[in-house]
Amino acid sequence: MRELDPLLHSQLRLAVVSILMTVEEADFVYLRKKTESTAGNLSVQLDKLAAAGYICVEKGKSGRRPRTVCSMTPAGREAFEQYVDTLKEYLNL
Amino acid sequence: MEEKKLTEKESLEVITSMIERTKERYIGDGNILLMWGYLTVVVATLVWALLAITHHPAWNWLWFLIWVVGGTATPIMVRKKQAALGVMSYSDKVSSRIWMTVGYSAMFATLCCLAFLLAKGIDAWGMMLAFALVIVPFAEITEGVLLNEKSLIAGGGVGLAAGIFTMCCLAGGVALYANWYMPMFICAFVCMMIIPGHILNRKAKKR
Repeated sequence: MRELDPLLHSQLRLAVVSILMTVEEADFVYLRKKTESTAGNLSVQLDKLAAAGYICVEKGKSGRRPRTVCSMTPAGREAFEQYVDTLKEYLNL
Repeated sequence: MEEKKLTEKESLEVITSMIERTKERYIGDGNILLMWGYLTVVVATLVWALLAITHHPAWNWLWFLIWVVGGTATPIMVRKKQAALGVMSYSDKVSSRIWMTVGYSAMFATLCCLAFLLAKGIDAWGMMLAFALVIVPFAEITEGVLLNEKSLIAGGGVGLAAGIFTMCCLAGGVALYANWYMPMFICAFVCMMIIPGHILNRKAKKR
């Protein structure tokens, strides 16, 4: 049986990727609210996902405030789909 | 949410729960619709009044105010709206592309009418009225269907009916005199943009 992708097999990273799979893009504040995580923890996990090439992080500004917008990359989408397939195998779904 | 190792069952629960949370749809406020609606109604009323008082066609150049003010304010308002929502869904993206297409085709239509006037002295500006009451309502109805917002569908429907009537007049050579056409044009924009805009704002306030 295949192993679950260790990068996705963690609560917060999986939550972030699950959200980003259903929308085109989401900003940091939205992700923090939906995942009910702390800013520091979310920031670290986003960096890990971005470093793996699973998500794209764009830092910009909205007026005077900084705004970080995240979206899935094709590699991230593929990894998530594989993760779900493997999960189905484990759970015999 | 804490960082911890998951069982396979918990993984599935996290995925399901996050998908559920993104299902809440926020349409946002109706400020952009209101801006275009009031802008068009004010400019149309101004042009109508000035034409009626002075009988000088040069006042028609004031229509360009709609593009100058609306074209400048819209990108700023869209950025603000996007930042307030914090998320862009696929339907938001489609809606944004539809309005972008409306904007670019309006620019092209304006340039065509201007070229007709400058090159041959032909007045083709009536086409812009049909454009405003066919392409714009069509985009509004599409957005209403995408967002499941009845006020946009109904408002767009009224605008489209006025647009089809305008096209019939243009094709049949019926002169669009300001004394009856302008009130109809203004009413169509009130139904198409101002009323749905206020409905969306009221819904946004409730949230």
